[in-house]
Amino acid sequence: MEKESILKDRTIVGSPLTHLFSLGILMFVFWLALSGDFAVKFVVYGLITSAVVAWICYPLLLLPNADGTKKYFALGVSPIAFLCYSMWLLKELVLANIDVVKATVRPELRIDPKVIRFVFRSDNPMAKVLLANSITLTPGTVTMNVTSEGIYEVHALTEGAAEGLLAGAMPRKVAELFGEEFDFTVLKGE
Amino acid sequence: MIADITLREFIAGLFLAGGAFFLLASAIGMLRLPDFYCRLHASGNSETLGVMLSFMGLVIYEGLTLTSLKMIMIFLLIFLGNPIGTHILSKAAYKSGHHVWTLEEDAKEEKNHADLPH
Repeated sequence: MEKESILKDRTIVGSPLTHLFSLGILMFVFWLALSGDFAVKFVVYGLITSAVVAWICYPLLLLPNADGTKKYFALGVSPIAFLCYSMWLLKELVLANIDVVKATVRPELRIDPKVIRFVFRSDNPMAKVLLANSITLTPGTVTMNVTSEGIYEVHALTEGAAEGLLAGAMPRKVAELFGEEFDFTVLKGE
Repeated sequence: MIADITLREFIAGLFLAGGAFFLLASAIGMLRLPDFYCRLHASGNSETLGVMLSFMGLVIYEGLTLTSLKMIMIFLLIFLGNPIGTHILSKAAYKSGHHVWTLEEDAKEEKNHADLPH
């Protein structure tokens, strides 16, 4: 795709200029953090470099949806909502971790491993990625496979972990974060 | 001397001790759990909290400097990369048809084993 047409691409969700700007800011903060030198010369170098990097990388961060009618910016979530989600995930992570440690360190193992399946449909591919990543990050559950139809196959270590996931709190949070409809069904049996 | 430790160092030490505990629990799980997928839980997941607590301890010890900001960046990278690695391993095992161990099958197998003539 031609670089000029990116700004006029109607299939991109949201405004490309805002995306470019926020990506540039992110790159600049990264530059400042790594250089640690606030002399004018280096700050100007940083500004130029981050602008060039943002311009080159922006097309790579556009993800098409399943039927190819829309393109989503990979980092296009509200930072504050994402921070709230991260805090919630951190809390879940600590609680689930304590459960798993309890189950594995006791003299007798209290585990009941099994594969659970559910469907989570979303238009935005980043929602799928974030859900799969969050499931794997939470102790007691590991995403084994995600199909293009949105079928998730998850290996759960304990009964509690499987129930917690199938209750659907995490997919709901992810759907809310991306402003999508909540489409979640549990699949029974093999 | 105990009196030489400041409050900040004490809190940092608590976090490091917590991190060490979860890393130890992860190692114990690695040794005890029965099959590949269960061991992935131990190695991939329990470790995340252990590493997280250790890095928090180091950041508290260091205070608000550029070094601690870099430590937070390293931690965020682990936070993103660790689940991806775990997922790729389990996906590879699943696609190549690695067997999933369950409680029922284990009970069945043990029964068959007991029925065998000695």
